[in-house]
Amino acid sequence: MKFGIFYEISVPRPWDGEAEKRVFDNCLEQVALADELGFDTVWAVEHHFLEEYSHCSAPEIFLTACAMRTRKMRVGHGIVVCVPEFNHPIKIAERTATLDIISGGRLDVGTGRSATWNELGGFRANPDETKKTWDEFVRCLPKMWTQERFAYEGRSWSMPERAIIPKPYQKPHPPMWVAVTSPGTEIDAAERGLGSLGLTFGSVKEQEEKVKNYRRIIANCEPVGEFVNDKVSTVNFLFCHEDSERGNKIGRRMLGTFNFLAAQLLAAREAYPTKSYPSLGLLPTLRREAAGPGDAAGVPEGIAIGDPERVLRACKRWEAVGVDRINFLLNALETVPQADVLNSLRTFAKYVMPHFQDSATQTAAAGGGR
Amino acid sequence: MPSSGTMDVAAFAPNVSEINGFKTPEWTLKGAQILNVYYEVKNEPFARLMPVMFHPVIPSYAMLNVTHYPESPVGPFTVADVRVGCRAGVRPRGFTLKSYVSTAAAARELAGRWGYPASVADVYLRAFHDRVVGRVKLGGRCILEVEMLDRDFIGGNDIQYVSSMHLCRNKEDGKLVVVQLDPEWTFIKAERGRPQLKAFEGAAWNGGDQLVPTWPISASYAIADTTLSAIRYVSDPNVDAFKGTTQIAA
Repeated sequence: MKFGIFYEISVPRPWDGEAEKRVFDNCLEQVALADELGFDTVWAVEHHFLEEYSHCSAPEIFLTACAMRTRKMRVGHGIVVCVPEFNHPIKIAERTATLDIISGGRLDVGTGRSATWNELGGFRANPDETKKTWDEFVRCLPKMWTQERFAYEGRSWSMPERAIIPKPYQKPHPPMWVAVTSPGTEIDAAERGLGSLGLTFGSVKEQEEKVKNYRRIIANCEPVGEFVNDKVSTVNFLFCHEDSERGNKIGRRMLGTFNFLAAQLLAAREAYPTKSYPSLGLLPTLRREAAGPGDAAGVPEGIAIGDPERVLRACKRWEAVGVDRINFLLNALETVPQADVLNSLRTFAKYVMPHFQDSATQTAAAGGGR
Repeated sequence: MPSSGTMDVAAFAPNVSEINGFKTPEWTLKGAQILNVYYEVKNEPFARLMPVMFHPVIPSYAMLNVTHYPESPVGPFTVADVRVGCRAGVRPRGFTLKSYVSTAAAARELAGRWGYPASVADVYLRAFHDRVVGRVKLGGRCILEVEMLDRDFIGGNDIQYVSSMHLCRNKEDGKLVVVQLDPEWTFIKAERGRPQLKAFEGAAWNGGDQLVPTWPISASYAIADTTLSAIRYVSDPNVDAFKGTTQIAA
């Protein structure tokens, strides 16, 4: 089991001149500490227009800053939107290769397609097309990274032969992942030999089924890349405090804030009837599961909130169902003071991490490497 | 944190209907034809179009709906609504600013049973091969004309309607309340197309000059057996829905 941290970068109003800088500075301070403590990866989302909820619209810049402040931690796009109105595939290949070089071969590339009307409508992307363009992009990316010259005639995009440079530092290329939110996306991931980057909270039983399904299918996959990334990661909240009552109280406040904030956005399916989004997508799923049945402390099942003992129990449950990594959200709208976030990371590293074999010696990539 | 509605409910009160209590028996209406068009609307005054109990959804949008019921206990009728997208706590909802109904009997029933802010107008809905047209005329003036072009089949499961929230006055105690209507739909046919708004008069829909459609989102047209269900929740419009909501029925 490995542990990572996961950033949406939510910025509360009022947005005075310092608000966004303050939040980004806090995040970077957390990343530097997490690296020292032995966390494996820092992930950053790509979201646009999601006011207060996520100001992480240029994750490649944030992740570059993370790479510059860390020595061992991997940096991960969680995810880069594979929709041409958001990102041209050539630019994705170029940017990710550059970040892989700058980070010394520490990049993971998560892929996805966006699930809100805020974003799809903002970029005037057709919701019916996003699954198709994602599929086309993930087949092209490894070739763009590995072939000296690349040419392509496709459905959503084409290009004459050119050298797409630079090439990634990791050989053959960085590990690739897929954001898994909608039901069935774990099958898409498994069939293509891509890591399953779970972006829903809680509901251990539901995820256990997904993991089993994923493992079964990936055994016979047709990988889009040069190697199979068969890792399963999930996302969770983290607030770990020696004092159980304080841990639960602050953690629940973070959960509630996140839930409430996410709910105000407009899911693609809610606004635009389409088969392409069979569920309401990431945000409502996050809400539902993060607000699921709680224990005596009022903390939903599987959520890593409370004292070290409770957090350990939650992480062990995930390990038992076959999850390889847990990536933690550390804050929402800055409801947790920075000092408490840093203390939570230290407490987790001191009391919880040692109970997991791999967590203190996390250096290898999921599949790539030089 | 997300902003809340800022509507002056007392000032809005002359626009609302009187509801005859909350123990409304359901109506099952066969073969309803439903044209539903979503438009983004101007953001700045949007919060003024909903009571404090709601949060404006981001981005701001309005639902323009015209539904024809070929059968009902009061005969066939057509109803048009304009609702604004909002959240009651974390739940997606549409707050109804105004409804126009094609017959006086239906307007009376919808208002008295479910608190629709209903009055009578000339409400029209027709499906042609190239488009579906919804139109409302009030005193000869066209206050809404909306179309769905380029009709294309989808599944009923692809459509997600949201529950309607009606600000109304309870006949029993005279209090202003918001009631929640959660219709159930069994889809017979569903289509999606390109929305086109040809006429819209915000003031006629109680939106004043604050309700300004700016950008098309989607249009759908469905035929569905529809149950206007019993009222499940009643809320105090001036208190956040988390705190001010009472469950009436399961």
